[in-house]
Amino acid sequence: MTRRAEAGLIVAAALIASVGVAIVEFTRGNWLNAQVALTFLAFVASFGGVHLAVIRWAPGASSLLLPTATFLTAVGFIEIYRIDSEAAALQRWSLLVAAATASMVLWLLRRTGVAVFRRYRYVILAIGVAFLLLPLLPNSWIIHGATVNGSRLWVRLDIPGTLRVLSFQPGEIAKILITIFLASYLAERAEAMSVVSRKIGPFKVPEPRHLGPVIIAGAAASLVLIYQRDLGASLLLFGVFIGMLYIATGRSFYVITGAVLAVFGGIGAYATFDHVARRIEAWLDPFSHITDAGYQTVQGLFAMGSGALTGSGIGLGRPDLIPAVTTDFIFAAIAEEMGLAGSLAVLAGFSLLIAAGFGIAIRSRDRFRKYLASGLTIVISLQAIIILGGVLRLLPITGLTLPFMSYGGSSLLANMVIVTLLLRVSHEERL
Amino acid sequence: MPVLFFNIIKLLFLLLLFLFLWQISRSIRSHLGSNPGTRTEGHAAELVILTGDTEIDRVRIRPQGHVIGRSPDADIRISDPYSSEFHARVGIQDGQVVVHDLGSTNGTYVNGRRVTSPTSVSRGDTVQIGKTILEVR
Repeated sequence: MTRRAEAGLIVAAALIASVGVAIVEFTRGNWLNAQVALTFLAFVASFGGVHLAVIRWAPGASSLLLPTATFLTAVGFIEIYRIDSEAAALQRWSLLVAAATASMVLWLLRRTGVAVFRRYRYVILAIGVAFLLLPLLPNSWIIHGATVNGSRLWVRLDIPGTLRVLSFQPGEIAKILITIFLASYLAERAEAMSVVSRKIGPFKVPEPRHLGPVIIAGAAASLVLIYQRDLGASLLLFGVFIGMLYIATGRSFYVITGAVLAVFGGIGAYATFDHVARRIEAWLDPFSHITDAGYQTVQGLFAMGSGALTGSGIGLGRPDLIPAVTTDFIFAAIAEEMGLAGSLAVLAGFSLLIAAGFGIAIRSRDRFRKYLASGLTIVISLQAIIILGGVLRLLPITGLTLPFMSYGGSSLLANMVIVTLLLRVSHEERL
Repeated sequence: MPVLFFNIIKLLFLLLLFLFLWQISRSIRSHLGSNPGTRTEGHAAELVILTGDTEIDRVRIRPQGHVIGRSPDADIRISDPYSSEFHARVGIQDGQVVVHDLGSTNGTYVNGRRVTSPTSVSRGDTVQIGKTILEVR
């Protein structure tokens, strides 16, 4: 696909967003208004801007990622606009900030490429862990952590002299930094780790010291679970770790150990933590907890069920009945108003994005770039799987955002940066 | 009447979503090169014979590869006394052009360096077989 085709598809996706906004306005009894134009402009300016940055600083990059990302963002945006127009206006600004950050990342890497991360990997790890721990800052400081819905993953900055606060989720950035570190660590260690010399019964196992990373992964994940009470981020972190280990070594041993650890960790968390236990009970039998913990899941199921094949039509359903619908349950809202057809389109979009990401990883010649591309793709896919599984009641519900689609500036920014890094990696393969 | 109207809008919008996905999938297909009309961008795909006595002067590398040599059964036949009957094979592996020396007497050289194991080459590299020089483009 040529750059021109990419630009065309980005404009087409921006058009989809503004058509959706126009339909929402129409169902409210308004005709075309400024919102439609603003949406179109925001999408063209942000994704078009990244597109120009790619032409300028990474001309060899794959042209499949950006249009797909624009499409997913557009469909999510329509639903956010339909549920909460004020939030959508904020989301437009986040989109511009995210695009500016993405372009800046491309500019920063224009000479050095992603290889520069290898040199500073321990600095990157330190920053990543610091970001992960940032929400634990005491409430009285200017920059302080905040607890929202029982999870402590927000950081707020009080702007002095006013009542305004700037808030963001540092965990979103931390997951990228930790992935970069893992890729660079595995690029050097994977070969040693893939040697399975010992045998216990019928199982081949690697040297005990190579188990270290798996244990560290489990420890980091449980730390997040204990201190931030965030089940989703904990699962994501652990999954990315195990997934990358498997890709780097090709040994199912790590996956099996990881799965066993996860199951025991899950059982342990169920027995120890109230909030985990409540969620798992609400997952197993949401209808008997319909008044409290199961309410969100049940509302989501009703919403998706009422959507049927083609949905109620944008602006004609009641997705606003679901708690946290613009963030965690955006997919239920899409399934209600755009039906099975619309939700399959979203899943197809994710599949294309993920396939493109792994395609870049396969084509990469350098180990580090290969692991980086696959790790970043795992982050997006696992996050989508965990939250979609939660919405569809295949997994317990966890508070993760659906990449590109959910409302939230930090999440949008992090996902844009992930796509940018993938673009950069694909560019370096063409040099 | 408005119900019908809203239903039409709804279906048109869903159609729009799938049209977009269809466009992207088409682009992917051309990206993968399964569409014979398009050439994979950026990847070396042609072998150009720079010096030497051959019947053809350039050939598109096919996925299953070509055997180069003096034998009449070679895919690319070169009349070069320093070349072996079946001298080397040029093929595509994981999207990359790879040169295998087939145990030739005088060796295969990539950019002037003798290669014994399968070596991946990229655009602009030269491959020397006997006195024949080929370039990957």
